[in-house]
Amino acid sequence: MSLNIYGQNLDSRLLIGSALYPSPQVMKQAILASGSQVVTLSLKRQNPNEQSGQQIWHYLQEIVTQTNGHLLPNTAGCKTAKEAVTLAHMSREIFKTDWIKLEVIGDDYNLQPDPIELLHAAEQLIAEGFKVLPYCTDDLVICQRLYDLGCQVIMPWASPIGTGKGLMNPYNLETIRLRLPDATLILDAGIGKPSDACLAMEMGYDGVLLNSAVALADNPVLMAKAFGQALQAGEQGYVAGIMQERQTAHPSTPTLDTPFWHQNS
Amino acid sequence: MNIHINGKAYALGHEIHISVSSALTLHFIEPQQSTFAVALNGDFVGKTDYDTTMVKNGDSLDVLQPIQGG
Repeated sequence: MSLNIYGQNLDSRLLIGSALYPSPQVMKQAILASGSQVVTLSLKRQNPNEQSGQQIWHYLQEIVTQTNGHLLPNTAGCKTAKEAVTLAHMSREIFKTDWIKLEVIGDDYNLQPDPIELLHAAEQLIAEGFKVLPYCTDDLVICQRLYDLGCQVIMPWASPIGTGKGLMNPYNLETIRLRLPDATLILDAGIGKPSDACLAMEMGYDGVLLNSAVALADNPVLMAKAFGQALQAGEQGYVAGIMQERQTAHPSTPTLDTPFWHQNS
Repeated sequence: MNIHINGKAYALGHEIHISVSSALTLHFIEPQQSTFAVALNGDFVGKTDYDTTMVKNGDSLDVLQPIQGG
């Protein structure tokens, strides 16, 4: 079972970020341990005499080569469709990919995506040949509109970026899955624990994108492995078919020939 | 003329304009050794257009480089 992103089949359903790790070495070890084949990164202004960005870039290139993976540049920090479109073009030139994780932020407090600017940007980028992976809220109608525009992959949030609060609105997320059965749905942002990722997969989500939950763990490499396994467990649980919840208890052990049973006379 | 590169001001005397290629030499010692992309006043400028795209007085150039991201 593989994850399909715009026709590319990937063995791992985990997409992982490259930020916030204690060191570039730990970043590389954690990403490799996760099994992920998609790594997110960004573009920023940098001091031309500062080599740290260049060092990270070399590490990420090594990771992609080793995993036969893909880079997924983001448009983090953009607040308008125009900014996001410009950054997408800059990313495509540098990273030689037409994949773009489209982020357009509408509120600085909780980094909530701006759905209106997001739709404008997605429409323009799709028209220009980009393969857009939009980061959005868990709003069914916004997800539907993005899908209708041609976004084959939709990435609703679990909760605000970096909070680790997990799945705030499971009902919304389940509804999006139910109503968009053919979209590739990746839960993005707010994941805190491996069980959060497992829950998303049990809902039938196609993948999970996370960063802080691994990078900020006491042991990022071990946590990366844990997330890889949690996704597999959740996916297999979904495919296996989860039992129907029941309102009343049903004994698991057969009741026939129960010992010490006495019929009331 | 005065231009900005990544928010830093540069005063370039009596020049009317300079190419993006020339402007980049103000920012980098060796631009060809670096990985970057450019936007002029918020619009993307492709590498093939660096020699023919002019930076004028008051313009703002963004020179962006890869960095870790989530």
